Amino acid sequence: METPPYNYAIVRSFIVWSILWGVVAVLVGVLISFQLVEPALNLPPYLTYGRLRPLHTNAGIYGWGIGSFFALFYYMVQRLCRTPLWSDGLARFQLWLFNATIITAAVTLLLGYTTSKEYHELEWPVDIMVVVLWVVFSVNIIMTIVRRREEQMYISLWYMMAALVGVAVLYLVNAAEVPVSLFKSYSAYAGTNDANVQWWFGHNAVAMVLTAPPLAVFYYFLPKSTGVPIFSHRISIIAFWSLVFMYLWTGAHHLLWTPVPDWVQTLAMAFSIMLIAPSWGSVFNGYLSMNGQWHQMRENYLVKFLILGITFYGLQTLQGPSQAIRTFSAFIHYTEWVPGHVHMGAMGWVSMVLFAAIYYLVPRLYDRELYSIPLANLHFWLVLIGQLVYSVSMWIAGLQQAGMWHALNSDGSLTYTFMETLVEMYPYWWIRAIGGVIYLAGVLVFIYNLVRTARSGKPAADAVAA
Amino acid sequence: MWEKKPVLFLLLATLAILVGTIVTMVIPFAWVNTEADRIATVTPYTPLQQAGRDVYIREGCNNCHSQTVRPLVADVLRYGEYSKSGEFVYDRPFLWGSRRTGPDLARLGGKYPDAWHTQHMEAPTSMIPKSNMPAYAFLNQNPLDPGYIRKCMKVLGFPYTEADIAALNGKTEMDAMVAYLQKLGTGIPKAAAAAVVGDLKNPFPKDPGSMQAGQQLFAQNCAACHGSHGEGGIGPELEPESYQDADLFKTIYNGITDNGMPSFAALGSTKVWQLTNFVNYRKEH
Amino acid sequence: MDWASVLYLGVTGGLLAVFILIVLRTCGKRNRSRLEEPKHRMLDDD
Repeated sequence: METPPYNYAIVRSFIVWSILWGVVAVLVGVLISFQLVEPALNLPPYLTYGRLRPLHTNAGIYGWGIGSFFALFYYMVQRLCRTPLWSDGLARFQLWLFNATIITAAVTLLLGYTTSKEYHELEWPVDIMVVVLWVVFSVNIIMTIVRRREEQMYISLWYMMAALVGVAVLYLVNAAEVPVSLFKSYSAYAGTNDANVQWWFGHNAVAMVLTAPPLAVFYYFLPKSTGVPIFSHRISIIAFWSLVFMYLWTGAHHLLWTPVPDWVQTLAMAFSIMLIAPSWGSVFNGYLSMNGQWHQMRENYLVKFLILGITFYGLQTLQGPSQAIRTFSAFIHYTEWVPGHVHMGAMGWVSMVLFAAIYYLVPRLYDRELYSIPLANLHFWLVLIGQLVYSVSMWIAGLQQAGMWHALNSDGSLTYTFMETLVEMYPYWWIRAIGGVIYLAGVLVFIYNLVRTARSGKPAADAVAA
Repeated sequence: MWEKKPVLFLLLATLAILVGTIVTMVIPFAWVNTEADRIATVTPYTPLQQAGRDVYIREGCNNCHSQTVRPLVADVLRYGEYSKSGEFVYDRPFLWGSRRTGPDLARLGGKYPDAWHTQHMEAPTSMIPKSNMPAYAFLNQNPLDPGYIRKCMKVLGFPYTEADIAALNGKTEMDAMVAYLQKLGTGIPKAAAAAVVGDLKNPFPKDPGSMQAGQQLFAQNCAACHGSHGEGGIGPELEPESYQDADLFKTIYNGITDNGMPSFAALGSTKVWQLTNFVNYRKEH
Repeated sequence: MDWASVLYLGVTGGLLAVFILIVLRTCGKRNRSRLEEPKHRMLDDD
């Protein structure tokens, strides 16, 4: 069969840049984890925890996450549609705009230009850059799909398209603000309304950026890595509609026990529990696809990353709904438990799947064999251990913290002052920081392996060539 | 059907997304921040307070401090009356936060004197030895820009006078920050302090064990303002053997808010008695 | 029953119906092989 002239150059470029921003995200993460144990590491005004933490999250979600989704969407859309990209020029422009946006974001955040809204800190001029970026990207993907040569769309395309419209709606509504100066604006909404809009955005950014796109990636790269199709395309369809429908109701589980109307909180709680079904639909679909293929967990490093990734997705989507229950939220909300949860999703689920996809692609894009499979295995174990050390230490810390915050004496007074609970966190914060360093080491091994592959890997045998 | 028609698919996906969005995000606007939510005593920020709020946002304080007290026993005991929707109608953006690496600040206003805040912002560990908060002494060096703050007030539609704006001349970001912190949570009347009932008899007068416990509590809770030996500082000198136990207990337990003396009721009466013993009967000087 | 409850039940019932229709359509015998086809097609594009 003749192969259309796919644009792989843009895929390569986005992979390189997303990895660079990923390293920035992890480095800043390690730095701020040490700032929590040693406040002298804060260098005011620019390098304090308060300004660096948004840089960490933005570099992670938008630089590493979205950057690699740009790459992988462009790869998947061409292959799944059997048609070249609609516009190479637009994609090239998007690459430049992407890097310009991330750099502007990093500089403005350190200068203290922030809206304060979590995962949407960028001020209005940077917001506009993000919107242009997303429109350019969406048009290119959708036009490619429209001109496809494959009639029926594979499930990965569904998740990709849902992410495109989802992010657009969420970002635009939450970005409503009134500018005061070039880098200062006030939210269009006030108080409780603002909170409700923000967490409708915040939680669904998790849906549309950190769930739908990695699922698209998982559904594409798992069968590609094992050589066996997914268990059921129809299960993935039902899970898809349930997921995109139910996610949007759940934002207020971030606002349990706050002044947001009670019925909104209750709906959020109920839908969060219901979300277990479609989430685990994908998890089971992944596991069942491995029927008769489990030996690949030993032989195929790509499968290890993917199956561990979907396993962490499964754990994440059980832990998340349990945290969305009022009583449990009362206990663990605001504690260290929550960063433990978030990082299982970020470092376990999303990043594991991205690592696998990039390992799959780089040899094909550079027409070389992977430099070292043992190093890929070392990378796997380092990021797995690093992430477990991080999450488990934070869960334990969170439970102790919550227990101490809520402890009462027999006369009804509080047992511990706030500082007595804070000092108990120091050992856990040390362990967490070490977990971060281990994870960073894993990422560096990953990069070394890729660089060696691109520079001096063995030319690929024809069978591997894309 | 939709699996072959991308445009139709995009429309259906958007529709699926919009149902939950409309119910849980759009419709609540009909309830929230309406007359039913209004609290008459809640006022907009003054120019100085708003300037402080903007510094709070710029420094990302919300990354470690929340600003909502939940209607839970421990929250209310630790921080004060739980938060009401009507208290936040002037907050653009809201600053409820999602982590309590540091304590909640929703009811911080009036809890400590201005001097406490200034010193704490300049060097947190000088007040709270094991704190991991970064130092914000540089706020002292940054003068406010009255013209810019006037513009902010206009965009927000908050009332101000030219005298308010003129008064900002010579003020620093530190002054603004302290003014903002002192405003937090003061929109509703302070709940009456839990009444101390009974005849207030010292349960362990001059007991050495309680004195030792008191000494530790003093270092953690009192030394920052009253000096590590009670020699005075932000708060007055504390002379031993110069108080009635019951009066001293009441002062520590209830605080003297007009004077800047915080209430330490959250410690519980046992610890307050231990403090009383230490302050009144320690051997020093 | 007041109008709010009727609306509530109506919306819930409507959404449930949509869900059931999607499930029936997706899992019905008529569409079985057609809807499973993409998972095989995506593998033989190399």
